[in-house]
Parts: sequence; C-alpha cells; structure tokens
Amino acid sequence: MDNRTDNKEDIERFKTGKDLVNQLSVVLRTSHIHDPDNVAVTSVIDKFVSLVNVLVGYERVISLELRGEYFYINDYRIRYSLEYLLNFDFLIREFKKRELGSLVFKDKITAEEVKVLVRALLSSPYAESPFDAIAERMSDTRNMSVEKLKKVVEERSLEPRKMVKKTYFNAVSYARGVINKIKGGEKVNIKKAKRVIESMVDQILEEEQLLLGMTAIKDYDEYTYHHSVNVSILSIALGQRVGLNRKTLTELGMVALFHDIGKMDIPNEILNKPSNFNDSEWNIIRKHPVWGVKALLKLKKLDPLTIKSAIVAFEHHMNFDRSGYPRVKKNFELDFFSKIVSLADQYDAMTSARVYSRVPMAPDKALSIMMERSNTQLDPLLLKFFVNMVGVFPIGTLVMLNTKELGLVCESNQVFPAKPRVLIIIDERGNRIKGHVVDLTEKDGKDLYIRSILKTMDPNKYRINLAEYLL
Amino acid sequence: MSEELKKAKDVIQSFLKSKKILRMYPSNNPIYINTIDDDFNKFKEFFYYKDELCLKIKQNEIFFDSEQVYASPEKEDNLALFFFKDGVREITFRKGITMEEMEDFLKIISLDFNRDALEDDIVTLFWEKDFQNIQYVVDETVLADEDDYEERAVRAIAEREPDQDSLMKAYEDASKEDVVSDVSIVPLSDKDLQLLLQEFERDSEDKTDKLTDILFEMIYLQPSKEDIEDIVGFFVNSVEYSVSRGNILLVTRILSRFRKMLEDRNEEEERKRLAKKILLLAGNESIINLLGEILDSGQEMEEKLFEDFVRFLDKNAIVPFMKILGELKSIHARKIVIDALILLGTKDIPTLAKGLNDSRWYVVRNIIYILRKIGDKRAVDYLLKTVKHGDVRVKKEVIRALGELGGGGVLQTLRDCLDDPEVQVRSAALRALGNIRSEAPKRIIMNKIADKNFRDKDFEEKKEYFEVLAQWKDDEVYASVVGILKKKTFLGRAKNDENRACAAYCLGLLGKKDALPILNKYRNDGNKLMQELIFSAMKRLEYGQ
Repeated sequence: MDNRTDNKEDIERFKTGKDLVNQLSVVLRTSHIHDPDNVAVTSVIDKFVSLVNVLVGYERVISLELRGEYFYINDYRIRYSLEYLLNFDFLIREFKKRELGSLVFKDKITAEEVKVLVRALLSSPYAESPFDAIAERMSDTRNMSVEKLKKVVEERSLEPRKMVKKTYFNAVSYARGVINKIKGGEKVNIKKAKRVIESMVDQILEEEQLLLGMTAIKDYDEYTYHHSVNVSILSIALGQRVGLNRKTLTELGMVALFHDIGKMDIPNEILNKPSNFNDSEWNIIRKHPVWGVKALLKLKKLDPLTIKSAIVAFEHHMNFDRSGYPRVKKNFELDFFSKIVSLADQYDAMTSARVYSRVPMAPDKALSIMMERSNTQLDPLLLKFFVNMVGVFPIGTLVMLNTKELGLVCESNQVFPAKPRVLIIIDERGNRIKGHVVDLTEKDGKDLYIRSILKTMDPNKYRINLAEYLL
Repeated sequence: MSEELKKAKDVIQSFLKSKKILRMYPSNNPIYINTIDDDFNKFKEFFYYKDELCLKIKQNEIFFDSEQVYASPEKEDNLALFFFKDGVREITFRKGITMEEMEDFLKIISLDFNRDALEDDIVTLFWEKDFQNIQYVVDETVLADEDDYEERAVRAIAEREPDQDSLMKAYEDASKEDVVSDVSIVPLSDKDLQLLLQEFERDSEDKTDKLTDILFEMIYLQPSKEDIEDIVGFFVNSVEYSVSRGNILLVTRILSRFRKMLEDRNEEEERKRLAKKILLLAGNESIINLLGEILDSGQEMEEKLFEDFVRFLDKNAIVPFMKILGELKSIHARKIVIDALILLGTKDIPTLAKGLNDSRWYVVRNIIYILRKIGDKRAVDYLLKTVKHGDVRVKKEVIRALGELGGGGVLQTLRDCLDDPEVQVRSAALRALGNIRSEAPKRIIMNKIADKNFRDKDFEEKKEYFEVLAQWKDDEVYASVVGILKKKTFLGRAKNDENRACAAYCLGLLGKKDALPILNKYRNDGNKLMQELIFSAMKRLEYGQ
C-alpha cells in the first residue's frame, strides 16, 4: 500500500511542475518586452528559480521536455489547466521554433544561469540553426543544459495525417450509419459513437491542426454527415481552448455530432433543392430542431448525455439575442454547449456548399461575418475564443503573400494569429508547384518577417480543390 | 521457458484471479486488498527482467514476445476475447505503473459487461482513466459503418481535378488587386478565461429541468397528433428519470404546470387532453415503483414536497402505491406511502378497499388505518367484512376504525366482538363502542355489565368496561354504578368486590362530587383492592387528580 502514498506525493510534487512550465513561459514573455536585467524580468526569474530548486530538492535532476504537444517533467506528463492554457501554448511554440526539446536542471540553479538561458533563447530565432546557437551559449552554465527536439517515434506519431484521416472518415461513416439505421428503424450503437468521439478528442489534443484541416475540405458528396462531424470537431477544439477536460470534451463532441439529427426528417427534395427555399420550405427546415429532440429522445433511455444532446439539438439555431428559431414562450438561458455548437455550426455551414444559402464563403470572410454578429446572434466571449482558435486566416484560406507566392493556410498560429503556416501552391515566378510549407513567423537577419499575407482570396471562386492539398 | 515469459504468464494468471475476486469482494475486504498487492508484486517480478510488458491480443489468445501466454476457446469468460471484441489489439504495461493504475485496470476488466447494462465499452473505460503507464492499441475499423468509406470518399474528391486555368487566374487576380486591410484579433485575457469558466460552472447542473422547459415549448410549436403522443411519452420518461434521481421538486413543478394548463379556460382542448393524460400517467406503476426504491434507499424526502407531489396524482396511483406498501423495507418509507394513500384514497375508496384483501396482514392493517384516517363512512361496508380476519392485529385495527367511523351494522358487529375469544379484540371493541358515544353503545355496555356472567371476567377487563362507561357522564350511568358499589352478596363475594372496586373507580372518573359520601361510607369495606380504588376515586373527586 506504500506505493499509493508515494503516488499521492508525486502528484503533489508535480503540481509544482505545472507552475514551473507556466513560470518559464512568463519569464520568456516578459523578456520579449524587457531586458533580462530589468526588475520586471528578474523578479519572475527569481520565482522560476525557486520553483526549479524545489523540484531539484526532490528529484535531484529535472528534465523539462517537450514531446508532441505536451511538456513532461521526468517522464511525467504535465496536464494543461485552464489558467495556464495560453502560457503553455506560447511555450510550446517557443520551444518548437527553436527546435528546443529539453531543458535539464542538473542541480539547484541560480538567477544568473536563467538569464543566460533567456538571452540564448531570445537571440536564437535569427540564427541559422536556433538550437545549436542556444546550446553554444549554454555550454558554460554548470547546472543547466539543453537537448534538441526529438522526432516522436511512436507508431501513432509516424503517420499522424493518416491517423487523423482515419479518425475523420470513421466518424463520417459512423454518422452516415446512424442516420440510415434510425431511418431503417434499427438500433443505434451509442458505445461506438463514444469511441469515435474519443478518438477525435485525442486527435484534437495531439494533432489539432490536422484534424481542423480535415474540416476545411468541403467538397464531399455527403454534406450532412461531413457537417455533423465538422461541427463536432470544431466544437471539441473550441471546448479544448476553453479548458474543458477530456470527458466533457467527449460529451460536447457527442452532442455536436447529433445536433442536426432532426434534418433526417426533412424531405430530400427540400434538403437537396438547388435554388433558394420558399416560405413553406423554410417552415419545414425550421422544424428540424424540434425533430432533433424527438429523434434523440427516442434513440435511447434518458440519461445526462441524451438530455444535453436534446437541448443542443433544440437550441443550436437560437441566437444569443434570442432571435433565430424555434421561437419560445419562456425566456431561458441558452446552454453552454448550445452556444459552442451554434458557433461551430454557423462557421462550417457558411464555409460549405449545399447549405441553405447555397453560396459557400471563404473561411476568413465567414469569420468576419461572424464577428459582425458578435453580441447579437453569437456569444461575444465564446466567439472571441473561436476566432482565436481558427485564427484570422483559418485553415483552407487562400492567401497571396508579399513574396508573390500563392498558398493555402494549413496551420494557424495561436500566438501570432496573423502568421499562420502556409502551403505554397504557386511560387514567386507564377509556377504551380507541389507545395512546401512555410512558417510566416520566420524572420530574416534584420529581424523582419520573411513573408506576410498581402491578401486573402476565395478558394471556392477559383474552384481550388482543398482536398488535393490538405488530405 | 525464459524467466520473463514465465513472469508474463504469472501476470495473466493474476488477472484471471483478480477478475473473480474484485467482483466478489468490496475494496476494503482483506482478500481484495491482498489480491491487489499480489498482482502488483507479479508486475514487479516481471519488470525485474524487462521495462515493458507488451501483450498482443488475438481473438482467443494472448501473446508475449511471440509466445502464447493465454488461450481459451470459450465464448464466455475468455480474457483474450474480452479485449478483442471491443477492438483492443495490444496492451502495454510500463515499469512505472502505479498500484492505483493497476487497480483501475483490474476494476475495468472485472466488470461484467454482459450482465451490467453498461453505457461504455472497455476502450471508453480505459480512455476515461487516461492511464499514464498502460498503453493500448485499438483497431478502429470496427467504428466505421462501411469498410471502404474512407477510400471511396477520398477517391470521389480526388477525381475532381482542379482547373489549372482557374488556379492561374487566382494568381493573376491576386497580383492585380489591392492589398487587403488587416483583420484584427482581440487577444484573450485571463479574465476572459475566468468569465467563461464561471459560465461553464453555472451551466453544469442537472439539465432535466431545462429539457422539460423545452418539452413544454414543443407543446406550443404546432405539433401534429403524432408529435403530441411522442411528447406525452417524453414527459413521462422525464418524470420517471427525475423520480429515479429523487428530484421530486421538478416532478411537482411539471405536474403543477399541467394542472394549470388543465384549469385554464382559454387553453386549447388538445393541450388539455395532453395535460390530463400526463397527470394520469405520472401515477403509473413504473413511476411509483421507482419512488418506492428512492424512499427505501434512505434518501431524504421532504414530507411537504412529497405531499404536494401526491396531490397532483390521480386515483390510478392508488393500486401501485398499495403494491409498494407491502414491499417497502423501512418504516419511514411505509409511513410516507401511507400518508400518500390517505391523500389519494379519498378519490377512490372502493379501489383502496381492495387492499383489504391483501394476503399480507400488515398491508391490510395499513389499509384499515388509511381508511380510518380518511374518515369516509363509505369504507364501513368494506371494513365490516374484515372483522373476521384471521390476524388479531388486523381485527383490533378494524374494530378501532369501525368505532371511529360508526354507521349501520357497526354496533351489532362491535357487540359481537365483545364476546370474541381474544381479550385484545374484546378490549378493542369496548373502546370502539366508547368512541361512538351514543345511547345505543352505552346500553350495550351497561347490559353487558349487568349480565350474570360479567362478574366472572378478569378484573382488568371489568375495569376497562367501567372506564369506557365513565365516558357517558349522565345520571343513569351514575345511578347504575352507585348501585353496583352498594351491592353486596354472600356468594362469590370476592368477584362481587371486584365489580364494586371497578364501580368505585368509575365514580372517580365520572367526577360527580355527590359520590364522595357514598365512597367514604365504603372506604373500609371489602378487600384491599377495593379500598385502594375507593381511596383513589375519592382523591380524584376531591382534588381532581
């Protein structure tokens, strides 16, 4: 039984680990503004030193390592927590930018040693090999050393894109199966749905950008099922930004997956109508939230998840300012999940073809329309998180760079939203190329950005097949 | 066989043993604790040789290092199949595994997935635990509804060749047009996170209330006849669900809204029909059974709240309530149900009276008690039939009820009961007659006392007769009792003195001070018992004691 006690102590000890990661991020953020000798920086360095030394007191040697999207302290994964979310994200980017894998504290450290580290980190992005520059500057520090970022060799990580694709299409196939089964009066396997969503939650935690990239491809034949999965992915991603735990993210993913289930009762001739809807067709369309509640409450026995799903199905077209539909007599607060799903739903619907308006929008255009709806149709606070999540230039945005290169945004940047990673599809000489990815945060020797976005364009207008690049 | 292979087999064997033990014993049982310790030691022994124990799962076999460490052809209780059927293909235990992780793992594999109606499969349960030192590989093809969906979807989209000219046109347009203005992003602050967290916390309560609000809205959203039927079902399910969670407040709120709907003159007939139906179904057997489970679980139930809930129920709830009355284990729960039946029973006495035919004496006694508390004279006919019940406890209760209710046929029955062989029944009948307080029962009692066989009764029974008689404080009774006190006999003197002692006791109870000189006259008469009772009667008359 002693092992249990040890484990509890471990957990207590590594709470300090979370603080340590956060504090290192604070040190770096402050150092971006002030000189390392400035009191603003030295005070945060002092706190960092004391946190490190507490842990060194317990563990003798401390290794802070970045593996994938997580920090580990002596092989113990440090969990994200809401209050530290932004700082964790920032530090991950900083490490990756410099190919920095680990910081090793071999004994108790001093503030001076940390200042050496800070200076090394600040100057490194301009070096040809950022990590080597850091390692060189750190070579004289006695109790601290650095290690290069390792390629993750686990089988799952070897082909993350393949894994993500599999997860995505499994989810779409499942969504398709559910609708067919309900229509055919068959029993639906909810256990399977949970598994599908759990996979998506894992992917969001580990390969968020790849999975979000999957939602940017809108040319599939079966919009309804892809839309359900896309809304689920976008909702989970937003939930993760907000700091929901894995289990809650699964619930959110589930309710989002079923949000449009009521649409299965809309006649196909309306759903697939090539022109705009008339009033009576709109009346039918507007019934799908109520039909969704019915479908979900018939699907299985009442439990907390079914209840949440039914609520979201009912509310996902009810707006923040109580406009939208269905019109209700009692003025009740919209559910937190409903507000998230509503955002994800609007974004995916606007950026897709074959929805009510029939006119797909470029992702950045959709986002700017959503921003206009802030505080009226959409919850302003959640929208703020959503915009930060998808970035000013969401994945799939067609961008012209100042270098005369044309590209597609393939990964947004949480810290510098205007500086995403871009897949170049036409080079500066106007030649169509098999794309390579550039990071817009890259700077030249004069501390100037090498590339910037000049303008965005509508990929739909030019019939650009995003799947060709993002799948 | 290599040492690590042997140790790997030991770990598997310990899993099999633990699967059984963990199902049988609670976690504080020494056998349970020892099993967990043993399993952990098996792991330690293995990790002495290797840092990871990687098990490959096949349908009926488990392999370690290409060597079979487990095999079973069975369909039930097959460890390999247990993992395999949910898609688990590989499990790796790392050296750092903690006892808590191992115990959580064992708890999951000990669940009886066939018997327990579990919402999750084994992979979900593993996933929720988020093990740090147990990794598993899952075959996710089982999740897709069609095997080749991915392939087909990708092929279909890939076939749409991009238009080279369009792409170049995009490039030309982009080169020609002006630079777009920058879109700004408002950075997130800690305050934003806190606000959102607070909202999420506010939002995390039970959502059944919200669901029922939505269902009420649905009633007003032009539902079809079929929709109405569905909505009724959903409400009933919501009521059932809330009852099962002990949320009687919500159920009461729901029923109250339907009652208002029913009573609203301006409400549409269709909605009134719906309201009526739900109010009726709220008292169905399944809901009342759930209520019984909650009551018996010891969960606190505010009596006033429960009473409010019962007031909304219709008479159809009487039978299920009577059914659970006989099944409930706790006295407190039975009391609550009895109170419910007292409220509901007024709506249908004949149905409630059917409970008098129950084979369990205690249920019959409870029903008699309920009928007595309701106080409706329509119950008398049913109660009269129960007087001949074989259990004396029932008889006593029914006699008491008859005494309180009165009415035709009751006096005759009670008079007959005065001759019952059971003294408890006779006593109950006597007191019941006393409760009626009219002339007729007085006459019955006086006649009984005057009967020649009366003096042969036990002293206590005789005393009870006089005690009951003392409730009629009139001259006739006074004169009769004084007569008994004065009466002396030569034969059977002891028995007669018992009568006289009881008469003295009765005079004390009648409270008429005129009796003092008479009592005083006989204060030294008769036996010691008589003297004692005369003395106490005098004290009562003199000092009101």
